[in-house]
Amino acid sequence: MNNPIVMTRRQLLRDTGLGLGTAALAALLAQDGRAGALSDAKDLLPRKGQLPAHAKSVILLFQNGGPSQMDLFDPKPELTRRHGEMVSIKNAMAGNSEALMASPFKFERRGQSGIEFSELLPRLGEQADRLCLVRSMFHEDPNHPGGTYMLCSGNRRPGRPSMGSWVIYGLGSENQNLPAFVCLRDPAVFHSGGSMQVTNGWLPSLFRGTELRTEGDPVLNLKPAMARPPGAQESSLRLLSRLNEHHRRNYPDESELEARIRNYELASRMQLAAASELDLSAESLETQKLYGLDDAATASYGRQCLMARRLVERGVRFVQILAPPPHNSWDHHGDIKSKLPALCRQVDRPSAALITDLAQRGLLESTIVLWVGEFGRMPISQGGTGRDHNPHGFTAILAGGGFKSGHIHGATDEFGYKAVEDRVSVPDLHATLLRQLGIDHARLTYPHHGRAESLTDPDVTGAKVVKELLA
Amino acid sequence: MAKGILVLLALLVSWCGSATRTFAAPINYERDIKPLLKQRCASCHGALKQEADLRLDAGALIPPEIRSEILKRVASNDESERMPPEGPRLTAEQAAALREWIAADAPFPKNEIVPTKPAEHWSFQPVKRPPLPTSKHEHPIDAFLFGQGDAPPRATAEALLRRVHLDLIGLPPTIAEQDAFATEGKLESVIDGLLARPEYGERWARHWLDVARYADSNGYERDAEKPFVWRYRDYVIEALNNDKPFDRFIVEQIAGDELPDPSLETNIAAGFLRLGAWDDQPGNPAADRYDQLDDVVSTTSQAFLGLTIGCARCHDHKLEPLSTRDYYSLVAVFNPLQRPHSGITDLAVKVGETDVYAWRETSANAPETHILIRGSATRPGERVEPAVPAILVQQQPAFAPNGEKSTGRRLALAKWIADETNPLTARVIVNRVWQQHFGEGIVSTASDFGLMGARPTHPELLDWLAHWFMHDAQWSLKRLHRLMLTSRAWQAPKNAESVVKYRRLEVEAIRDSMLAVSGRLNPQRFGPAFRPAIPLAAIEANSDKEKIWTPSEEPEASRRSIYVFIKRGLIVPMFETLDIADANSSCQQRQVTTVAPQALTLFNGEFTQQQSRAFAERLRREAGDDVDRQISLAWRLALCREPSDVERTKLREFINRESLEACCRVILNLNEFVYPE
Repeated sequence: MNNPIVMTRRQLLRDTGLGLGTAALAALLAQDGRAGALSDAKDLLPRKGQLPAHAKSVILLFQNGGPSQMDLFDPKPELTRRHGEMVSIKNAMAGNSEALMASPFKFERRGQSGIEFSELLPRLGEQADRLCLVRSMFHEDPNHPGGTYMLCSGNRRPGRPSMGSWVIYGLGSENQNLPAFVCLRDPAVFHSGGSMQVTNGWLPSLFRGTELRTEGDPVLNLKPAMARPPGAQESSLRLLSRLNEHHRRNYPDESELEARIRNYELASRMQLAAASELDLSAESLETQKLYGLDDAATASYGRQCLMARRLVERGVRFVQILAPPPHNSWDHHGDIKSKLPALCRQVDRPSAALITDLAQRGLLESTIVLWVGEFGRMPISQGGTGRDHNPHGFTAILAGGGFKSGHIHGATDEFGYKAVEDRVSVPDLHATLLRQLGIDHARLTYPHHGRAESLTDPDVTGAKVVKELLA
Repeated sequence: MAKGILVLLALLVSWCGSATRTFAAPINYERDIKPLLKQRCASCHGALKQEADLRLDAGALIPPEIRSEILKRVASNDESERMPPEGPRLTAEQAAALREWIAADAPFPKNEIVPTKPAEHWSFQPVKRPPLPTSKHEHPIDAFLFGQGDAPPRATAEALLRRVHLDLIGLPPTIAEQDAFATEGKLESVIDGLLARPEYGERWARHWLDVARYADSNGYERDAEKPFVWRYRDYVIEALNNDKPFDRFIVEQIAGDELPDPSLETNIAAGFLRLGAWDDQPGNPAADRYDQLDDVVSTTSQAFLGLTIGCARCHDHKLEPLSTRDYYSLVAVFNPLQRPHSGITDLAVKVGETDVYAWRETSANAPETHILIRGSATRPGERVEPAVPAILVQQQPAFAPNGEKSTGRRLALAKWIADETNPLTARVIVNRVWQQHFGEGIVSTASDFGLMGARPTHPELLDWLAHWFMHDAQWSLKRLHRLMLTSRAWQAPKNAESVVKYRRLEVEAIRDSMLAVSGRLNPQRFGPAFRPAIPLAAIEANSDKEKIWTPSEEPEASRRSIYVFIKRGLIVPMFETLDIADANSSCQQRQVTTVAPQALTLFNGEFTQQQSRAFAERLRREAGDDVDRQISLAWRLALCREPSDVERTKLREFINRESLEACCRVILNLNEFVYPE
């Protein structure tokens, strides 16, 4: 009675007369009483979205730098025919006009669906009948950071929560011993946007992407910085726990103290779990080979793709893999003829292996694989040998998770410059992804600075689910 | 054919209409109905607009006689009748929830807070001093909170000493301070002593830097260092230490360069406006220019006025009485600002001999500012003149030119914000200070005092404080601290019922406390930021490793956390994990999360290991080899109290079995260490 601050809320709850259960009561107490927040999640326990779900987890193979669609999966005969001709297209960054440049690479129809794939992606092409290509992606930011934030968070400005953060905010995780949202990357490179690619923005930091490494210790500080005698770690944790329990008796109502005690236990479980669950050597030689772990060119990316499969198999909700080195891998402003094949060789086999392996284990149905960069590239040349950034038209590849297979959606113009048919915006893509996970994109909101914010922000972006992509 | 579709549609609708809700939980007004009313009804039938003279944004406002009409309209297939008229129709689930709620006689909480008409909104009303309530408590805060009732008891002397130290200077009391307090025992003199110490500014500047979205780099692709931006950080520390009146503090940050008597200091202060992220190679320079102005307008209005005007960039704010005209009128205030840079190189400006990181205004002629249609830089609409949000004033302040080198627009805005008649300014800052001391604001949304913000739990107390702060305390933050800290409310033991809340220390205070306890803290003040060591793995094998992060050496590396370099693209992992403020926009309150990487960082991380070793060495040095004396000293340094018998037994046994160093590591990880009583 002596605390009016607490009283007002309690009073309110008591007087509602709506028979709130304990869970609702806790949720209300935890909330600021603001409009719009339909989820009050402050933990990572598994939960369901508002709609029936077709998939449980997502693997985002993010292709930093912007892969060239007309050299990989959006063939343009007209571009070949009119090679060398000047048109009214300007390079986005360089600002100049140059001539149309035909793809130097051959295309071939693959699988029963007959989807055309470049000769640079032979293995991914083998998976054609399992893939759903969206050839009509577009946005407006021609810069690496802006484009990356756009794809990762739905907005070209930095600071908004990433897709993975929204997903685990909405759904939690099915594995409490591992992070719910994992980022994997080659330690040699951190692309444009840095850790902002997996940021929680203004969502609670519980929902941030955690970086796991595929070599050495998978988590920062997983082991003590200095070697300790055997048993010392456990004994120290035991003492900590006892002293904390002793202290907590004085504060029976403080749930945060309890949470912090449990957290040290989780960390300790993670030390054990991470070591065994993330040990790739437990995989058969055959599997390791499938992912190209036996080949220097594919080993690093292959390890990440294999790790991604192990993670979703263990209930991790969202895995984001960044492209292999160099910095902004696909950013081929020059010499695309030799650079593109080299990079494709690193990425093609592991990407295809991931899809094959998920399918063989029956995991592809419940896993969405999304293969996309921050934009595509220009049909005109840059300096005669390369291609500049192009956000007006590019391709996203989807597999599994209830998406159509052996399917092509949308089209760019005759040169591959702009998305013209069945255009799909980035927020549309996000809305569709969330839909498959059982989340209504307009209703997964979080109150921030007076607004009910969401990943897709439909009031501003007009985002909608692209039903044509769904099986 | 068309008819067939209609029939099908009607069938579908009636089927949807009869569908039961898929979840079994009983209808819950707060969860199922209120958000629906706000999202789908309030924009036409709410506080801002009342079409058909109806308000439907709260259960209490819906006249019983129109309930059936609502259900009819929601289900209608006639486009001219259907509600809501814009956007998709209600989902089957929503419609069913509404029907179920109305069938249950539309219950809502008796004391439901109903949004008022904007002009009547509490925070837009002038600040008047309410009379002190009749109370047996002399302290005004206690009088408001406890009235004729009893005040809670005081926490123990040791707990209060530690609390006041961590709260005001972010460092635990030393043994000498503990001894002095034990003999003299006057908390008021401790408060005064701490407020007079330079560490006070180092602690409280960090709270303001959160609001000011401070960082040392620009973010984006190159994430280059902001040259000399640390002078702004030092300015904040000194302003707080000198107890610069808050109204003056406001004016200097918004218009320090436009003052009639500008100094080096006031020019540095105006760097506030330039702390945001900057894209040094924007793809669309015109749009980018408005992004930068948006950062300035949004931060300024949130920081000082507690208004979220950023939403009005693309369309009139749907939930606040703020229009695009209001927004672009504020843009017009800042539009004359120019960013000094040479290509992708960010530049400081010279003020006398000193490099200062601030914008520049060079002419009394302002560029034209237009409303941008849907926020698009390529679609200018009507031209606007500088103005403050219309809802807040009867008469606009005069935006008059200011000599030849600037338009004087910012000065006019700053003076209006800092004026005693501004209804928001004092309420907002008083609430920020309260939030920091008590763990939870009187208004829980510290940067949102608008219609959608939280209501004050104690409106009269807030107004009394705001009025007292301006008129009695003359905008002195130190007097405000003193007032709050001398209340029984603040000095109570923390528990679920107490006004003062149990809350984890911020990462800066955790790190600084560790350094203080281990004896390694380097008190060197001011100047360029330092870079603490970060786990190699975080940047391992990065081709630009050296360029990205070169760790500072000792003793530089053991300085206080306020001097840590904040790089937008690479936040020190320990800071990031422990909930440092996101520097991309103004932060109203730190989050407190509990995730496994925090435990790993604090238990296994190199920083803790180093401090544990130094802590153990210190104990041996100062307490000798006697384990009991070591334990006592450790407990007093870290927790400001003697260990209990149980604790002492456990610790002795552990030290004998393991090591003193291992024990120190455990102490630095204790809940009590980071959650001060």
